[in-house]
This record gives sequence, C-alpha cells and structure tokens, in this order.
Amino acid sequence: MESPLHHFEVHTLIPIHIGGLDLSINNAVVAMWVGLAIIVGAFMLVVSRGISPIPGKLQSILEIALEFIRNLVFEFIGEEEGKKYVPFIASLFLFILACNLIGLVPGSYTITSQVVVTGTFACGIFIMTLVIGFSKHGMGFFGILVPPGVPKIMIPLMVPIEIVSMLARPISLAVRLFANMTAGHTILAVLFGLAMTSPLWVSWMPFGFTVVINGLEIAIAFIQAYIFTTLTCVYIGDVVKLH
Amino acid sequence: MPQFEQVSVFGSLIFWSLISFGLLFFILKKFAFPPILEALEEREKKIRSDIENSEKLKEEAQEIKKELEETLKAARGKAETILQLAHDEGKKLQEKSLQETEAKVRQIQKDAEQEIQSSRNKLLQEIRSYTAALTIASTEKFLKKVLDDADKKRLVEESIEQVIEELEKRQNN
Repeated sequence: MESPLHHFEVHTLIPIHIGGLDLSINNAVVAMWVGLAIIVGAFMLVVSRGISPIPGKLQSILEIALEFIRNLVFEFIGEEEGKKYVPFIASLFLFILACNLIGLVPGSYTITSQVVVTGTFACGIFIMTLVIGFSKHGMGFFGILVPPGVPKIMIPLMVPIEIVSMLARPISLAVRLFANMTAGHTILAVLFGLAMTSPLWVSWMPFGFTVVINGLEIAIAFIQAYIFTTLTCVYIGDVVKLH
Repeated sequence: MPQFEQVSVFGSLIFWSLISFGLLFFILKKFAFPPILEALEEREKKIRSDIENSEKLKEEAQEIKKELEETLKAARGKAETILQLAHDEGKKLQEKSLQETEAKVRQIQKDAEQEIQSSRNKLLQEIRSYTAALTIASTEKFLKKVLDDADKKRLVEESIEQVIEELEKRQNN
C-alpha cells in the first residue's frame, strides 16, 4: 500500500535554475495556477460582460464574496481605514480558497498543505502589520506591547508576554492552515487506501467515508480560508487601532 | 513528511506562490474589484436613499392624512352649524307666517263683523222705510178716511216714532 503522505510529494515538471536557485515549475505550482485561473477567469468574465445593476448568477456569487470580505474588513479594521485593505484581503481569501479547493480534485495538489507556502504568507502578513504599525504610529507603535489598563508594575511582565503572543501569531497562522490541509488530505488518502486494498464487502465502508470526508473537506477549505483572512484582518486592525 | 523533507522544492514553491499571489492581487485590484465594489456601493446607496425616500413619503402622507382629517372635522362642524342655523331660521319663519296668518284672520274677522254691522244698519233703514209705507197704507185703510197732508205727515211721524221706539225697546231687551 502506498504511503498516505505520498501525494504530498512535489514532482518537478519544468526544471528552471536561475543562479543557485531552483525555480522549477512543479505539480503544486501548476495546480495553484489552475485554481487561480478559475478565479481570475470568473472575475474577468463578469467584468467584461459589464456590471449590471441587477446581477446575474455569477456576478451575484462574486458580489456576495466581495461584500462578505468587505464587511469582514470593515468590522475588524474600521470602515475608513479598512477601505484600502479590501483588495488585498479579498485577493488573499480568494487565493487560499482557490488553492484549498483545487487540491480536492483528485490528482492535483494542495499548495496550502506546504508549510513553507503558508509560512511565507503568514510571515509576509506579520511583516506587513509591523510596517503598517510603525508607519502609522511611529515609535508609539511599541505601545501595542502594553495592553490598556495594565498597572505599571506589571509592565515588565506584560511586555515579554505580548512579544511572545505577537510572534506566535504568524506561526499559528501558518501552522493552522498547513495542518488542516495536510490532516484532511491524509485522512482522505488513508480511507481511500483502505477502500482500495480491502475486499469488496468491507471496502464500501471506507469508501463511503471518503465521500463524506470529501464534503467536509470542501467546508474546511472555506472555513480555513475564512479563518486565515479573518485573523489577517484582526492583526491589521490591531496595529491600525493600537488596541 | 514530504513537506519537511523536500527542501529542494521550497525555493520554487515560495517564489511561485508569491509571484502568483502578486499577479492575482494586481489583476483583481486593477480590473475586477473596482467595478464590482463600485456597483455594490452604488446599490447600497440606492437602497438607502430609496428607503429614506419612502420613509419621507410615508411621513408626508401621514401629515396629509392628518390635515385632511382635520379639514373634514372642521367641515363637519361647519355643516352642523349651518344645519342648526337653517333649522332655527325655518322655525322663525314658521312662527312669523303663523303670526301673520293669525293677524290676517283677525283682520278678516273684523272686516266681516263691520260688514255685518253696516248691512244690519242698512237693513234697519230699509225696514224703517217699509214700515212707514205700511203704516200709512194700513192707517188709511183703517180710518177709511183721507187725511189732509198735514195730518198725514203728523200721523206718519207718530207711527214711525212708535215703531222705532218699539224696535229699540225690543233691541234693548
């Protein structure tokens, strides 16, 4: 029986080496591109048709998605400040959602199950929040390390705790998405492996489970994309409002 | 776990995912999001203004209704006053015409009484003249003698006086 982790292996399709860097195009990257192409295609189709005041089906779906993200941003960052972050947060949500969903197609790859990818995004967001914080509040941004209402005597204790909690944010953000995607796909692989190897009178059971878990995985794809973007909003909102 | 072991692909995964995300962000931000977000905002604005308008219209309608009701109430009051006035006027008119009729009737009665009185007087005059002739005739016959004019006259006067006295006596009785 094949290892259930086997399908997390990346296979190089087009080798590209620039300098000492390996920038080969592999199956994970191609799967990601397919997912993103669907997103871009859907948006371009709607925009090229012209935005009508009475939306069609596809326009409705995209509008609902955008409105949902916009409200999310407004809720956590604020309406005035949040407006300029809407395109970024929406792109982030759609990127993660597309990568999560395209991974559920058999034979493709879930690039969000790669901890380096989720880590890159989480670190990027963390650095972005720091940049926003310092550019907005200057040195006053260090005030984020002292929660409001803390007695002065507690400050030496609170600052290290806050630093740890700040640093934990990108790690938890990266690991949550990566672990969820990996776990889901591993369970699917294990169940499907059981279904393929067991005799027919048993195999219907694990196969049935794969169907159910697949449905669950679709929900998880949405939920994880939602959590990732919500937390991004919360982090940006924190540094914008400084508590 | 391949995600931790395949270190060689990390570079390309990071590179391509960042590039792809950047491209997605650029394309969507430049071409897709602005018209859709604008449409959303416009629709929200339209719905908000429509609701506000309808609320304003509702308030106006209620005001108009109130005004109409007040006008109706005033008109009803006025109508009642007019009705009352007409009623009073009618009553007055009725009384007046009744009084007039009564006065007329009284006048007619008076006139009739007067006429009766004058007729009676006339009648009495006539009776007097007939009685004179009758007395003369009967006296002539009774005496079977022609009297001279002086006697005639004296006798006539006497008998007339007598008759009148008799009549007056009767009348007084």
